Order: sequence, then structure tokens, then C-alpha cells
Amino acid sequence: MDELMATLKKEIFEQLNLHHVKPEDIGYDQPLFGEGLGLDSIDALELIVLLQQKYGIKLANPAEGPKIFYSIKTMAEYITDHKKQ
Amino acid sequence: MEVYIAGKGIISAIGLNVDETLQSLRAGKSGIGNQTNLSGRRDNHLPTGEIKLSNAELATMAGLSAEYSRTALLSMIAAKEAMADSGIHINGLRTGFISATTVGGMDKTEQFMTSYIRDGEFKNIEQVLYHDSGAATELVAEPLGIKHFVSTISTACSSSANSIMYAARLIKTGVLDVAIAGGADAMSLFTLSGFNALMILDENYCTPYDENRKGLNLGEGAGYVVLVSEKVAERLLKAPTVKLTGYANANDAFHQTASSPEGKGNYLAMQGALKMSGLETTAIDYINLHGTGTANNDLSEGMAIQRIFGEQVPKSSSTKAFTGHTLGACGGIEAIFSIMAIEQKMIFPNLRLKTPMKELSFAPVTELMEGVEVKNVLSNSFGFGGNCSSLIFSKVN
Amino acid sequence: MELYIKGIGCISPQLTYDNSVFLPEIKKHSGNRMMCIEPDYAPYFEAGSLRRMSRVVKFSAGAALIALKDSGVTQLDAITTGTGYGLLENSEKFLKSMAESTGPVLSPTSFIQSTHNTVGATIALITGCNAHNNTFSHKGFSFESALIDTRLLAVEGATNVLVGAHDEISEKTFALMEKLHVFRNNEDAEIKAYEKGGNGVVAGEGAAFFILSATKGEGDYGILVDNAIFYNPESTIEVKELIEEFLERNKVGLENIDVVISGINGDAKSDILSHEINHLLFAHQTIVLFKHLCGEYMTASSFGFWLAAKMLIAQQIPESVILKNRHRRPGYILLYNVFQNDHSVMLLKAC
Repeated sequence: MDELMATLKKEIFEQLNLHHVKPEDIGYDQPLFGEGLGLDSIDALELIVLLQQKYGIKLANPAEGPKIFYSIKTMAEYITDHKKQ
Repeated sequence: MEVYIAGKGIISAIGLNVDETLQSLRAGKSGIGNQTNLSGRRDNHLPTGEIKLSNAELATMAGLSAEYSRTALLSMIAAKEAMADSGIHINGLRTGFISATTVGGMDKTEQFMTSYIRDGEFKNIEQVLYHDSGAATELVAEPLGIKHFVSTISTACSSSANSIMYAARLIKTGVLDVAIAGGADAMSLFTLSGFNALMILDENYCTPYDENRKGLNLGEGAGYVVLVSEKVAERLLKAPTVKLTGYANANDAFHQTASSPEGKGNYLAMQGALKMSGLETTAIDYINLHGTGTANNDLSEGMAIQRIFGEQVPKSSSTKAFTGHTLGACGGIEAIFSIMAIEQKMIFPNLRLKTPMKELSFAPVTELMEGVEVKNVLSNSFGFGGNCSSLIFSKVN
Repeated sequence: MELYIKGIGCISPQLTYDNSVFLPEIKKHSGNRMMCIEPDYAPYFEAGSLRRMSRVVKFSAGAALIALKDSGVTQLDAITTGTGYGLLENSEKFLKSMAESTGPVLSPTSFIQSTHNTVGATIALITGCNAHNNTFSHKGFSFESALIDTRLLAVEGATNVLVGAHDEISEKTFALMEKLHVFRNNEDAEIKAYEKGGNGVVAGEGAAFFILSATKGEGDYGILVDNAIFYNPESTIEVKELIEEFLERNKVGLENIDVVISGINGDAKSDILSHEINHLLFAHQTIVLFKHLCGEYMTASSFGFWLAAKMLIAQQIPESVILKNRHRRPGYILLYNVFQNDHSVMLLKAC
């Protein structure tokens, strides 16, 4: 799980071009959207693309996004659950 | 100084000219369906409002080469119809052609680019020659006989509302006597894949202003009006029956793609147009909604309408369930619908609307209304980048 | 209606982003293109907002913010921009993902930032400006149309308008145009080489933004008197007559024009008409060129406008831009530009 979260963090930073923050400043539990990292609806779409491209997981309903993309940890959990299936 | 409508021309999925369009609107016949022109390519399962003619067929209608972009062909067909309808001979009149587009020649460019990117070869490079937005405008301006004044606006989905507005302002300030204004956009894989990436395309036929709406369907087409000054209007054989009485351009300044929840830009555009027209809100008989069918647009637009009109929201409908969202052309196409509503004493239905939105106190009209007095119509066009524009068309007394 | 130039911001292949200097040295670009010299954007943008911006969005919004700051204006009544090709790099990026990706959904950011109004919208977002916002995209009339829009806005009651234009050199479109033999090498960036001309142009890019105001103030750069566009004129004589009519409408005699900024681009064929006009109308004026500094692109005239504003406030004509007749001081400046069938004029004067 820790390994997945570390990889995921790197991938998120790349996909969203987050040059203005340091990866070490973002905790795995920290909210990514709103008050957290300040991501928005376009980033949510980019994360959907990330799930699809790197993990082969198709998220058909963007409305599920906020729950899954709450933090790096929730995202990693979602990936782990859906890869098993 | 008043600005009059002397002619109109339109082509979309529901008709190749004004008469065919009126028949479809009257019959409640939607143009949304399966794609044929883009078949076999990416995202081709998505329904669209496609014009069921090949480029070669459109080129024959337009009297232009089939090598040109589909956008230019559509533009020529509608602009030519508008000029013919007006009966104006432009000799001696300062006449401008103000067009609008978002994709320009992208339909050709994407064909070239896909193979260029894949194998690095410059095959059929001539396809990119008319890529830019202005190219389509000039390809049409020349056969129309336009000298000196041409321009093209590209403000996403409000493009052609803005070109009509710009044309009216040029006439009011005496720069032009006559202006052919509107816009054109062809279906392209670029926009189809782009809107799909934004996850705002409905995989079924779109249902604007429905509680369960799932997104928009893309469309294609062109719509142009011929605007004339008072002086020119007085000399016309066919006296104009509609004039442009209000318009405004505002920016939501909220987000690159999303509208603010309260629809600030939408509100400012409608309010600005009303103020210019000098009309009370109760004088508006019909609103041609932007109504794309996305969750975000319909809610923001609806909230802004409620804020302006309060308990007395006029009859309204989104005609995008007929045509699909024609992007840079929709302002021009829907200007024609607005004018037709006044001329034909009709209000067109918002097709496929079953469950009105729970957030709104009003719901669009779902059945065709005929024989109704329509004196003033508000037409909305809102786009990416927060670009919001509204036009008001009024019956000439 | 005359408009006062209150602020300027220009990011171009020359060192122009610093308003405290005026072409201190000419940057020579080798090869067949001239790319922008860009400032550090950190002082202009919030760190987070830069991450989605492509190069053209940065150098355009950057130029706009420089102009805004330079003017001291805090409240904009409108934003109007022009771009010939729009946002090529992002369009190409999205086309690339369309060609290469096999997944059901593509990354949307480059598509979102591919629309022509992206720069105008970005500036509206940054400045929180809810007012009139327009983007013209019409070849050699893109910036010109934005200027006409600005003049209409002033007549309609606007006080301060941000107007500008931008175009970028992007990898794939450049490669295509190179293949179509549009370009030539910039072996000799000396101005004399532009008089004779060669085969093709040197590609250029840049963004220039201005705050134009209906009210006069201390420290204004100069005045935009009028501008006009002439699409598809039939002959040199027609252009000559159109320019004469334009000056007459502004009650300015030919003899009052001190400096002519000419859009001569170094391609012998496309410059024929400009040379003829200079010969027919402007035998005694100081002829100034600018495309040897910024290259050729659809909105290059906005760089010419920047040059005019700088010359008007400095009351000086840099040696590096003079083609002939170096005896005039810039009082009235006429800019005459040609891009294919799009001919345009702008008349400016000193305050």
C-alpha cells in the first residue's frame, strides 16, 4: 500500500503538473480538492484519465470522483479494490 | 439608430435552408442521430446533430471546392441564402462579412495531423492550408463580393452571438450600412473527442433542462442574418419585420470551463441586453435558451433567469435537442430561430424534456405553440472561458 | 474618437518586456524562426495558476499584466484580443493524444486550453473582470479587429480597455509550413536585407497588449487616432486611394505624417505592394520596419503598434528600425501592414 501511494503521488504530480508544491508537503491523508491542494473539476477529469491509463480502471460516472479522489490514500484504496476484481 | 434584420440563412441537422428548418421545427423532428460522416473513427458511437450530406454534396450547394473545410462550405450555403433572402445588391453600400467559428478548418487539419503524427509523413499537406478561423471567412467573402470589411470572432460557444453584436455596433456607429453576420462550425473529431474528455456528452439523445440530463450532443451548421441600417431598411422592397433591439457581452470570470453556480456572467449578459432594449422583463415573450443539456450550464442559466425574471419567467425552450450544440454556430442558428418565432408566431418545443429540474421554478415549453403573439425574444449563448452573450430580437411595429 | 495609450506590455523575440528600456540591443536569431525572450513569470502569476498554462498563454497573459501594471489602471471596462492561429501548441497536443491514445477518454486539459478565447478568458479570470470580453481570429485582421472593437467600446462609453494580440510558433505547425516553403533563413537580420527581400519569411511570434483609454492623463504614451482594414484590394492604386481617404477622414494631410511603419516582411513577392505604396505616397517620410525584429505572423502588427507607442513617448526613432529618411521626429505615425489579402492602417500621434 505504501509503495502504491508513493507511486501514485508521483503520477498525480506529473499528470497535474503540480510544480508549485513539493511532493513531501502533501500527506497521504490530506484532501486533494478544495481547501487541501486546491484541485478543481478539470483535475478530477485528469485523475480519471490517470486511473484509466496507468491502472486500467474505468470510472464511468464522474460523480463518484469526489469520494475516490478525496486523498491519495482513498485513491490507492480504490485502485487496490478494483484491481483485485 | 435601429438595426434591422433584412435576411436570414441557415443550415443544420434539421434542414438545409430556412424552409426545411421551419418544417422540422413545426413537426418536432429532431436532427440528432447516429454518425455517418465520422464513422469508423474515434468516439463514433456518440450521437450528434450531423448534416447528412458529404463534403462533395455541400460543395455543390455552396459552389465552392470540396477541398475546402466543411466549415467554409456550411458558411457559404447559409450566408448565400441570407443574402438572397435580403434581396440586397451591395453595390454602393458599405457591406461587411462578420463570421464566427471555433473549429475553422480543423476537420481537414485533424485528418492530416493524425497520419502525420503516426508516421511522420506529409501526406495531403494542402489540407492544412485553410486551418485558421479567418480562412473560412475569406473563402466565403470573396464569392459574396465583399470588399474591405471582414472579420471573424472566436469566443467558443458564444462566437456567433458576438459576431451579430459586433455587426450591429458597426452599423450603429456608421462604419457599415449592411453586415452579413453569424457563424459556422463543422463536426470534427477534435471537438467530439474534446467534449468527450470533459465527460459532458450524452451517450443518448440530449435532454436539455431535464432533471436527469446527462450532457450535450454536438451538432454542426451555420446561421447568418443580414443586418441593415435604418437608411437601408427604408429602401428595401421587402420591409423588415424584425429588429435587433438589445445585446450584451459579459464574462463569468469564474472558471475556464465551468459556469459559476449562480450564473453571474449569464445574468450580466441578459441584464445588459434587457437594459439596452429598454424593455421590461414582462415584455419578453420567449427565451431561446442556451440549454446545452449539461448539468452545469442548464443550472447556472436557469438560476440567472430566475434572478432576472422572478416568478414571471417567459415561455422558454432550448432548441439544441433539435440541432445538437453547434458550438460557434449556435448563436447564429438560434438567432434565426428567434426571428422565426416572431415571424411565424410560434414557440418551439424543448424536445425530450420529461422531468423539469427541481432547482428551478420554471420549465421550458414541451409542445409546439402556434398562433401566439411573439414580440420580443431573448436568445442566450454562453461558452467556455466564461464568455456569455445575449441578444434580443423584437417585432417591428 | 481618439484613444490614449496608457500602458504597454510586449513579449517578443526582442527584449521588450522591460518597459524601462527601448530596444537596447537587437537580438539576432539564427535559422528560420524568432522565438520570444520571456521574463520570469513568478512576479505576475500565482504559483498554482501557471501549471495549466501553455507557453503562449504565459507570454500573452504576462504581456497583458505588464500593460495593466504599467498603466496604473485598476478597473477594466473590457478585454478584447486578437489571434490568427489561436493556441496551436495545445491543439497539437490534443491532436497527438487523439492519434496515439487507445483509451476511451483523453486528457482534457489541452483541449480546454485550445480555444481561441483562452488568453482573453485567462486575463478575465486573473483580473476578475466581468465586462465585455471578445476574441477575434481573422488572419491579418485579428489585432486590427480588436482595435476597432476598442474604438467602438469607447464610443459606447467604456473608459479603459485592455486590447492586445498573440500568436505562437508551435512545433508541428511550424514543421508543416516549413515543408510548404513558407520560411527562409534569417542569415542577414540587417534591415537592408528586407529592402531587397528574398524568398519566404522568417517565422515570428509574440504578444503585445495595451491599455487604451478615453481619458487623457499624465505620462500617456501617445494617441491612437484611427484604424481601418481593407480586405482584398484589387491594386496598388486602390490601396493608395484607400489610405488617402483614411487620412482625409481624419483630417491629416500626407505631409503631416512623419513616420511610416511598414509591414515589409522580407519576402520579395509579398512586399511588392508595400514598396510601391512607400514609393507612391511616402517618398519623404521616415520609413520604419519591424518584422526583422519580431518575424512574420498574423498578429505581427501588434508589435508594430508597440514600436509606435515606444517611439511616440521617447520622441526618438531607434537606428535599428530605420529603412530610409532619418530626418523626421515622430509626431504622426502611420502603420501600414499587409498579410496576404489583409491590408490595414493605424494612425497614431504624439500627445
